[in-house]
Amino acid sequence: MTFPMDSGKDCVRAWEMMPWVLQDSATAEQGAWLEGHLAQCAACRAEFAQQSRLRLALSLPAQPAPDVEAGLGRLLQRLDAPAATPAPARARAAGWLNRALVAAVLVQALGIGILGVKLWSAGSAPAYRTLSEPSQSAPAGTIRVVPDAGMTLADWNALLHALRLQVVAGPNDVGAYTVAPASSASTAQQALQQLRSTRGIVLAEPVATP
Amino acid sequence: MHDDDLDSDVTDRLLLQRMANGDRAALGILYRSYHGRLCRFLGRLTRRPEVIEEVINDCFWIAWQKAGSFHGDSRVSTWLMGIAYRSGLKTLRQHGDAPVEDDPRREERSAAHDLDEDRELRDWLSKGLDRLSADQRVVIELVYGVGHSLDEVAVIMQCPVGTVKARLFHARVKLRNVLPGLAGEPPQRTEAMP
Repeated sequence: MTFPMDSGKDCVRAWEMMPWVLQDSATAEQGAWLEGHLAQCAACRAEFAQQSRLRLALSLPAQPAPDVEAGLGRLLQRLDAPAATPAPARARAAGWLNRALVAAVLVQALGIGILGVKLWSAGSAPAYRTLSEPSQSAPAGTIRVVPDAGMTLADWNALLHALRLQVVAGPNDVGAYTVAPASSASTAQQALQQLRSTRGIVLAEPVATP
Repeated sequence: MHDDDLDSDVTDRLLLQRMANGDRAALGILYRSYHGRLCRFLGRLTRRPEVIEEVINDCFWIAWQKAGSFHGDSRVSTWLMGIAYRSGLKTLRQHGDAPVEDDPRREERSAAHDLDEDRELRDWLSKGLDRLSADQRVVIELVYGVGHSLDEVAVIMQCPVGTVKARLFHARVKLRNVLPGLAGEPPQRTEAMP
């Protein structure tokens, strides 16, 4: 993921601020800052003009819009229709024999389902692994990194570029990326040290290799 | 949140309370008040004009049933847009996501109702939205069209704020690359900025 403007931190900040200034939810200070930045940055000015046009285009009414009164009329009819709650009505009408048959089928289906899940989970996760069996772990030099939530995309990209790392997996559920040296594994230890000393990196741990 | 938003949320909450007591007039007021933005939102999500009314009615059917269980954890508009989003997704699963540009009636309607400038703007937007996923279109509509915050969009789409941020970022990058720029045009809206 690369940032769409070849520019510094101010342009990144301006890019992030534009939607909120346009929808008038940014603070007056943020609005004033953006105005100042736009006055001196042609790229951001063009971007803001396009964003303004986008907002204008999105504010046009839907076309064709269905008739509101006709739609409301149909909704009110639906509230009155007995078919609106079909399931309980049918259930009440059914005899006890039907219900008993449905219950029996459901119990059987449940049993088959549980059996299926058990068989599937037993097959997918082998209970043991021999020591000689090759591990499916990550390649040598792979590092798991958790950047701080406040870290900007530009800083993250710059850091990866500087350390010659590339993301090979992630982010996972806790926001951790798996990164690996772009060229050779020899720089991995050095990269790990530098990651740990970088501000904005919450955690950097080597991924265990066989 | 603006004062206007606060006022409208107070009104919406009162309407929901009345709906919980079976007041259909309150349902009518809420329906009319949200019809425009729901049409636009569901049009962007489903891109199928023929199903919009059905989805809006599904949404208000659920709102009518659940009005009494609204606890005020979010604004009513956020709650209602969330119901509309899920109803729209259900319809998408049934009908599929297809652009409406092949519909010849669309051109006729556009010609009949639009000013030239509006039509040009719609065409420009349509070129960009065609390249976005349904979720990216939804985020763009909710942020730029309706004016929701990232937190509110996360509630509506039931996903982490980080996911909304990423969708907004990717959608903006795609639109930036796809939509013809405004080269040669003066940045006329810069002056209008707050």
